[in-house]
Amino acid sequence: MTPTSIKLLLGGILVLLFTTKELLAQTLSVTGEVKTPLTLTASDLHALERTEVTAKDRDGKEHRYAGVALTAILRKAGATLGGELRGENLSKYLIAKAGDGYEVLFSLAEVDAEFSGRTILVADSVDGAPLPQGVGPFRLVIPDEKRPARWIRELKSLEIRFAK
Amino acid sequence: MRYFPLLTALVIFLSSFWITKRELHPYKLEYPTSFGRRFTIPDDNSTTEEGVALGRMLFYEPLLSSTNTVACASCHKQANAFSDDRQLSIGVSGKPTRRNSMSLVNLLWVKNLFWDGRANGLENQAVFPLAHPDEMGQSLEASAKKLAKTRRYPSLFQRVFGISSITGEHITKALAQFERTLISANSPYDRSLKGETTLSAAEQRGRELFMRGPAPERGVRGGNCAHCHGGAKLMQEVFHNNGLDSIAVADRGRQEITSDGLDNGRFRVVTLRNIALTAPYMHDGRFASLEQVLDHYNEHFHFSPNLSHELRISHNEPTGQRLGLTSSEKKDIIAFLRTLTDSTFITNPAFSNPFETKK
Ligand code: HEC
Ligand code: HEC
Repeated sequence: MTPTSIKLLLGGILVLLFTTKELLAQTLSVTGEVKTPLTLTASDLHALERTEVTAKDRDGKEHRYAGVALTAILRKAGATLGGELRGENLSKYLIAKAGDGYEVLFSLAEVDAEFSGRTILVADSVDGAPLPQGVGPFRLVIPDEKRPARWIRELKSLEIRFAK
Repeated sequence: MRYFPLLTALVIFLSSFWITKRELHPYKLEYPTSFGRRFTIPDDNSTTEEGVALGRMLFYEPLLSSTNTVACASCHKQANAFSDDRQLSIGVSGKPTRRNSMSLVNLLWVKNLFWDGRANGLENQAVFPLAHPDEMGQSLEASAKKLAKTRRYPSLFQRVFGISSITGEHITKALAQFERTLISANSPYDRSLKGETTLSAAEQRGRELFMRGPAPERGVRGGNCAHCHGGAKLMQEVFHNNGLDSIAVADRGRQEITSDGLDNGRFRVVTLRNIALTAPYMHDGRFASLEQVLDHYNEHFHFSPNLSHELRISHNEPTGQRLGLTSSEKKDIIAFLRTLTDSTFITNPAFSNPFETKK
């Protein structure tokens, strides 16, 4: 091996170590108008009921995403879903925030599977592998949306609020 | 008229209220509707003509520094869209600042100020440069005392805030009011959006490259700049690592605030309005020219572990590793960036030094 290739190799190992360590340390928080605010780690997510969906990403190709249904996570936090999603609770919304500060909004009704009939996934793996750095550890996947602008990468927090 | 004396007394009594009541005129912030109203002005510091005028004086006031020689305007010069043409700025200590000075433009819409987003709100932000030993190096209390000894300021603070003695808090409030008025939305690019002018062919090509992401499979070429620097204000309040270093050690950026490893080397995506006036570029001012900036995005960025996903995946050539724009495409993007220069902003007399005699 030439000195440069050794350097490259060592650099690669360093970056890999750094990456795994940081990804393992990441959490997803659920806050706001919920009974029990949550801070979930990757292993917490593995302990919940798993769901898989197939959807087209920005590259135009179909991928298999695995993770936990957003509804299941919100239910665990005690958000007003299902039968409770009526009256003033229909003026609630969800802000999903990414690691870079990017925020997108959903009405609470549109994310509740029972209400809207759609599945939104908090994915932690794609095609059988963990999501890579820059994308994971968690990503929102919304299979029925034509533009993936709300499929936020590095999902950090979910906050439910009342429209005031 | 036996009631006359009584009436006069009443009128005098009432008018005393009239005189002490501060008559302030709300300042009308004007901006294109496309900029939106996603901003908050603190309830206890609404923007008034009088407050803005006071803030402008303070912005140019060297008495706010320990040496009486440095003002905000020393490092935020109107001719440079309120940034500094030096790589690092020099304040009272003569030691260079840690980072490159930032342009003060359209801050009404920014919540987390500084390159690393550490200050929330303009009122809080102003405390940093005022007190920093390498910037203005003077406590707010000392500044308030100095201003109280002048002939000019006590009555102005009294009028704007209804206070009898100047405080540090009111200094930062007035500065924030002035800074909120620094709105730039009249560049040739803005006028082209309104149909008042047309961009040249090169500028137009540059605009398209700037706005679009590349998709070689569909024959679409792009620089993908707008993914981060897009929107009507040409900025978004997000933090990214644009590959300046393989691992950021000397200045960890956002990580210093959040302690999150994924934030290593992430900095705020700043506006590119007036970018041709604000060289040198990046948080450490490492690039002297826009040519160097384009070379960075096209050819030299580091594949740091935290490199923004968008930069990692944007290629104009199907097998490319980096952006892969041609040199004439880079020139076109620069031509477009130059259309973001708002000459009315840098010559607006309302933002200039109030102590300089009018030419
Ligand atoms: C000695 C030079 C210097 C002086 C004097 C100075 N600044 Fe700055 N200013 C800087 C630098 C450098 C930064 C970027 C610092 C950082 O990000 O850590 C900055 C950043 C800012 C920002 C953040 C802009 C943004 O987009 O986030 C604001 C607002 C600001 N300064 C206002 C002021 C005000 C108001 C004063 C006077 C009270 C002042 N500055 C005095 C050098 C200076
Ligand atoms: C992934 C997000 C992202 C993309 C895409 C991106 N930038 Fe940036 N840009 C940034 C960040 C973050 C900074 C500040 C970095 C720093 O100083 O550490 C920056 C800084 C700049 C600056 C310097 C600003 C200043 O005031 O010093 C210029 C100029 C610039 N970018 C131009 C471009 C151009 C042109 C493109 C397209 C070829 C582009 N950027 C694409 C994130 C991005």
